[in-house]
Formats: sequence, C-alpha cells, structure tokens
Amino acid sequence: MILFLEQALNGWALGSLYALFGIGFGLVFSTLGILNAAHGTYASWAAIVGYYVVERAGLPFPVAVGVGVAAGGLLALAVDQIAFQPLRSRKAGMLGALITSIAFWIILDSLAGFATEQQSLAFPAASFPSGMIDIGPMKVGQLQLIIIAVLIVCTIGIHLLIQKTRLGTAMRAVGWNEVAAALGGVNARMVILLTAFLAGATSGLAGVLAGAATSNVSFTLGEGLMLKGFAAVVVGGYDDVRGTAIAGILLGIIEVFVAQYVSTALRDGFTYSLLLIFLVARPRGLFGSAGFVRA
Amino acid sequence: METLLDLWAAYGSTIAFAMVNALFALSTYAVLSTGVLSFTTVVFAAVGGFLAAQSVAHLGIGLWPAFALAGIGGAVAGSVVAAAFLKLDSHWMALASLALVLITRVTVLNTPLLTGGVNGLVVPMSVPMGDLVILLALVAAVFWRLHRSWYGLAARAVREDAAVASTMGIPPRGIQFTAFVISGAVGGIGGAALAFTLQFISPETYFIGMAFTMIASTVLGGSFHWFGPIVGAAVFTALPVTMQSVLPAIEDVAKGVVLLVIMIFLPRGLVDPRAVGLRRAARRRVSAEEGTDV
Amino acid sequence: MSDAALSRPLLELDTVVKTFGGVTAVGGLSTRVTRGSVHGLIGPNGAGKTTLINLITGLFHPTSGAIRFEGRSLEAMQPQAIATLGITRTYQNVRLFSGMTVLEQVMTGCWLTREVGVFASFLGLPSARAAWVRTREHALSLLARVSMDHRADELAETLSYGEQRRIEIARALGSRPKLLLLDEPTAGMNHQEATAIGRLVHELRDAGLTILMVEHNMGLVTEFCDDCTVVNFGRLLATGDPATCLADPDVQEAYFGRKTDAERIQALR
Repeated sequence: MILFLEQALNGWALGSLYALFGIGFGLVFSTLGILNAAHGTYASWAAIVGYYVVERAGLPFPVAVGVGVAAGGLLALAVDQIAFQPLRSRKAGMLGALITSIAFWIILDSLAGFATEQQSLAFPAASFPSGMIDIGPMKVGQLQLIIIAVLIVCTIGIHLLIQKTRLGTAMRAVGWNEVAAALGGVNARMVILLTAFLAGATSGLAGVLAGAATSNVSFTLGEGLMLKGFAAVVVGGYDDVRGTAIAGILLGIIEVFVAQYVSTALRDGFTYSLLLIFLVARPRGLFGSAGFVRA
Repeated sequence: METLLDLWAAYGSTIAFAMVNALFALSTYAVLSTGVLSFTTVVFAAVGGFLAAQSVAHLGIGLWPAFALAGIGGAVAGSVVAAAFLKLDSHWMALASLALVLITRVTVLNTPLLTGGVNGLVVPMSVPMGDLVILLALVAAVFWRLHRSWYGLAARAVREDAAVASTMGIPPRGIQFTAFVISGAVGGIGGAALAFTLQFISPETYFIGMAFTMIASTVLGGSFHWFGPIVGAAVFTALPVTMQSVLPAIEDVAKGVVLLVIMIFLPRGLVDPRAVGLRRAARRRVSAEEGTDV
Repeated sequence: MSDAALSRPLLELDTVVKTFGGVTAVGGLSTRVTRGSVHGLIGPNGAGKTTLINLITGLFHPTSGAIRFEGRSLEAMQPQAIATLGITRTYQNVRLFSGMTVLEQVMTGCWLTREVGVFASFLGLPSARAAWVRTREHALSLLARVSMDHRADELAETLSYGEQRRIEIARALGSRPKLLLLDEPTAGMNHQEATAIGRLVHELRDAGLTILMVEHNMGLVTEFCDDCTVVNFGRLLATGDPATCLADPDVQEAYFGRKTDAERIQALR
C-alpha cells in the first residue's frame, strides 16, 4: 500500500513534467496556430544552460531554474521572430511554420549535441533538493513535491491569465482570428511575443526540473518530453490548460504503475493506446469544446 | 566515364534514398493537395514495409508482387485512417495523425511475430536501381494523370476552399477519402522500397524523423504540383551529403539553416505554378503601362 | 412536368430560424421564389441575407423551419447534394480558387455536368477526352457570356474585382443550375458594369433560369427584379413586387430611418 502511494506520487511528479511541457506546446498551438516541432529543444537548452550555471558558475539550483526559464523563453522568442514572423505576413499558414520549426528543431538539436559533447550530463546530487521527506510512512523526494507544486501553481496561474485578464482575452482573440483581434484594438504583435515567451519559459521550467529529476541533461531530454507532452495535449484538449494538466498527471501515473505492476516494455504502449482511444472516442480532449463553425 | 563511376560509387545510395523519399513525399502530397496535413504516410510506409519484408521472406514472392502487396496494404490502411480521422477539423487532424505515428512505433515494438519487434527484420531482397527508377516513374505517371484529370481539378478546389467546392457539387470528404487511399498505396510502396533499400527495418525506421523528413521534402519542393515533392525530396536528401563536403562539422546545422532560408524566402516551395501566372500578369501590366499591345 | 408542379414555387422558405449561440440571425422567415423570375433579396447590412443564402445552399443548417426546392426538403442536406439538385451560387466577398486560371475556375463549376467518370478521366480514355473538350467548350461559352473569354488562360486572382465577380457567375452557371443565387453581384461596380449584370440576369431568366439575388442598389432592384423580399434583423418586412415593397412604411423605416427620425425630431420638440 505504501509502495502504491509512493509510486502514485512519483507518477504524479513525472506526469507534472509532461503537463508543464505540454501547456506551452498547447498554448502555441491554440493561440498562434503553430505545430512547433522545435518546442522540445527549448527544454533541452534550458536544462543545458541550467546545468552550466550550476556546474561551471557554481551558482545555486534556484538560480539555475531562473536562468533556464529565461533561456527557454528567450529562445522561443528568437525562434518565433526568425522562423514564424516572416511567414505571418505572407499568410503561409500552419504548414510553412511547421517546416521552419522543423528546421529549428534540426539546428537546435544538433547544437545541443555539441554543447553536451554528445553525452548525457547530470546535475550533481548535492546541487539540487534531492533528499527524501517522510510523509507518514511514505518517503517522497523533495524535488518530486516541488515539481507537483510547480505544476499546480503554473496551471492555475496560466488558466487565470487566459480566462480572467485582458491579456488572456486578447490571446484567445488572436487564436481565433488575428485580423479581428487587430481591429478590436488588441496589439496582436505583443500578444504573439508574450505567448511565445510564456510557452518557451514553461517548457524551460519543465526542462530544468526534468533534467534534475531524471539525471539526464542532453538533447534527448526535450524529445522525451515532447512525445509525452504532446500526448497530454491531445488527451487533455489543446485549448484548455486544465485538461492538459490533468491528462499529463494521468499519463505519468499510468506510466509508473504499468512499469511497476505490468511490464516496463508495455509502458509506452499503454500511454499511446490511451491516446488512440481519446482520438477516436473523444477527439477534442477531456475539456474540449465544440469548434467554431465557419462557412 | 571513370569519374562517372566514381560519382556513382560515392552518391549511388544517396540517389536511391532520394527516390525512396520522393515516394514518401508524393504520398504526403496526395493528401496535402486536398488540404489535409497528415503525417500518416509513416504509418502506411510501416504497413507496406513490414508486409513486403515478411512476404518476401516467408511467401517467397518476387520484388514487384511485393510492391503490389505493399501498395494494397497501404491503401487499406489509408482508407481506415480516413474513415476514422476525416471527421476531425484540420488542426486536430494534424495532431491525431502525429499521434498515430507514435502509436505505430509502439505497435511495431510489441508485435515481434509480425515485425521482429525491437530487434527489427533483415530483408532478404534488395531493389536494383533500375527497378527503383521504373517504380518512381510509374508512380509519377499516376500523379501526372491525376493532376490532369477531373480528380486533380476537384482536389485543387477542395484544397483552396472546401466550402465553395461543396456548393458546386464536389464532395470534399469523398475527394479527401480518395486522397488518403492514394496516399496509403504510394506510402506503402515507398515503405517497401525503403525496406528493400536498407535491407534492414526496425521500429525506428518508420518514426518521427521520417514524418518530418517527408513533410519537409514536400513543402520544400512545393505542394502545388506533383513535381514539387520529387524535387523537394532530391534537395532534402542531397543537402546533408553536400553539406558534409562543405561544412563537415556542422552538416545538420547547415541543413536546418538551408531549409529555414528556403522556406522564408519561398514559402510556397521551389516548384510553384502560380508564380508563373503571377509573373505573366505582372509583365502584362508593365507592357500595358508602356502602351504596347499585349 | 404537370401544370401543378409548374405553378408551385420553385423555392419555398417556411418559418426558417437560424441561431448562432444565443444570437438569432434569421428569426422565422417565410417567403417563396416563383419559377422563372428574378427575385431580389434586400435589407440593410446584417439583416441575415447572406445567412439565408448559406442556409439554402446547405453551408448552414436551419435551427428550425423548412426549406423546399421543387417540393424537396433541403434542411438536412449536404451542400454538394443541394448543388446536385440544381442550386448554385456566388459569394458576397468573391471566393475564387487561388492558383487557378479563369478557365479552370469555370471548369471546376462544371463538375456536375462533366459527363464522365473520374476514373475514366484519370485513364484518359478517348470518350473522357471528348467529354473534357465538350466541357471546355461549354466553359468558354459561359465565359463569353460574361465577356471574360479573352482572359481564359490568366490567373483569376490577377484580374480586377469586377472581372472576378463575372467569372464567379460563369462558374456558378457551369453545372446548368435551375436556381442561381447571386450574393451582391454588383458590389464595387460602376453604373455601367452593374447595368450589364442586370441585363445578363434578364437574359439568363429568359433562357429559363430562376435567380435570387441579394442587391443593395435599389435602382437595379426596381429595374431588373420581378419580385422581392425585404428582410431586417432576420425577419420578413415585405414581399411582393419591388415598387410596392419599397413603398412599404416598414421598409422605408428600415432603409432610411424616416419614421424614427420623425419621431426623434418630435420628441426633441
């Protein structure tokens, strides 16, 4: 029973990373209409930058998290302005942006390989909160609890931002129609920049935390997060951060339990079967709303 | 002659891969040319690849029957995917098809009896270059006929504005369904061609990397004419090889930068029939302003 | 066709309602279009005219009410099925296909009258080629009708707005429809061009076509329409012959705000 609960918490933490990553991916998809193949590289780069902040500069872990988040956000801004902005004015649509994002994925992934000398690096255990906490009879990692809390804070924060603030209304308006948003007095350019930064920053946050939690800082980090974060977005519905958060957590818990009680080999099988079921049975996700009808 | 042979020895496999990639790009183009962005070519390729590999190994059939079988298998898969996914709107369609690629890999991993599982399959047959050329020519001929037929006209209409096309009596879903069957058949044949070229296939063969390669080839070459994907596949396949000889250390980075630059400056791809018409119109305006007869 | 079928209206709308979310675009509208007439659909901006056209062509489905064409119910039909029955249309904001030449646009409109299977056309059988040539001739003759045949091989998007509108009419005629819906066919045209469209509409009617057109130019409506239906806020204001309709006080109010102005002036005093 104790093992069960411990594993549930481990799964929750793992899933929180998927969700945290997926929120940014879904935000860009719903607001900017871009299927961003380079999104995973933001997480890799945030983790790599964070690693060097700790390892080379000897700064404490929270600083590394802050720098990683900033790095993810700025990288996303740079990619948006270089790869997506030139296409917006030409109405090249989702397709052109997908291709330029693939280009950046190739570039940033291979540069990340150079930055880590094609190795998997790990944060020194002493550098981040890696101890265990006793909760009743259970032993739970400090970092796991931090990750769980981070996701909750981020989900509530971003949900409120989108639903309750002027900026959020503007983001939703841009998501529907950039021209209409511009007419309605929304500064579309500003909204685009903020959305890109926010998405990159959450991806970066997920990257640094995942780098520490899984002892893997390399270009493969972003790819792993990308696949699972993507699943969370599809299961949860891309236009609702709550859906992504819950779906991510569920996927994490299922993964850990399947590995623990069924078989490690079937772990991904369960995740993607769930994905398939949702695609067919509930194609708009957990919280999915009916789409706008356009003639 | 000597240098030609050297060239062949050095770049023969690149040319073979360019032709296989052209098949995948054409499969992607088949659905893209009706306005559907789908990554399911990878799925069709996996079906065709494993089907061809297994039937060559266990049923003892020849190369061309294996291609035919792969094409049929892919077409069946295409119709199943179309029936399940065409009801989704375009954004979800793109996501769902990408999810299906992930699911395909897991399925391949977990059905070792059919696919060799994690160890992959050795393919006991190879495809001679001449046969590959004939195969690509045949497939290209099909696309050429499609383009010049009523189907081609309807597909362009559905892509540009499905609602308007439907008010003219063109059934968008029907056209897109047909596109998926064609995409499935060509994707399946491409999967078999890849299996016979690599002579070893595994779950990693038909995965995300391939999904992005084929979509990049298609859009790079231009998705408004069937010749575009073939050009795109050639450029995209040759790019790393070229870069390797120019900038060996950072060939991938250079490949990404070239892709980025081409897309930013030519967002409709290298082959764009509309650009020809626009240029002609611009010329006409200029000559009209100069007062000469058009 | 029996006399009864001929005297029955070609198109009948019976208390048609269409709501989007909580907004009512069309609120219980009934009207009928007589076979062989030019019927004007008029009303201020946002009155629900284009929504009505979208409902008739199946791009939207009515929330309630009935739409009958030659006695058949259209409410649940897909757009392509409705086109097959013989209803085609043009669009308020011209919607030609990007990247197609003028001739290709009109050929696309001939989809339903192509006389050959898609597969036969793929194979390029001689019969399919002959049918293609016939369709091409048909499309060129339609272009000649709207005086656009000299531009047949040019990209439609490079032509002027007025020219594009005429191409769109030719495209809608491609499938030899029984009912043609024109959504503001003269928008952005000068008087001369608009009158040419009016004359074309009369020629088409005299050749047996029924036309329902959304039109803002009241001069054109009185000159070229046999009947008209006036709507405002998705409701029927008046229907009948144009002169009577335009004289109706409700119509006057909706268009020129006369009554309200008068009342406001009185209130100010």
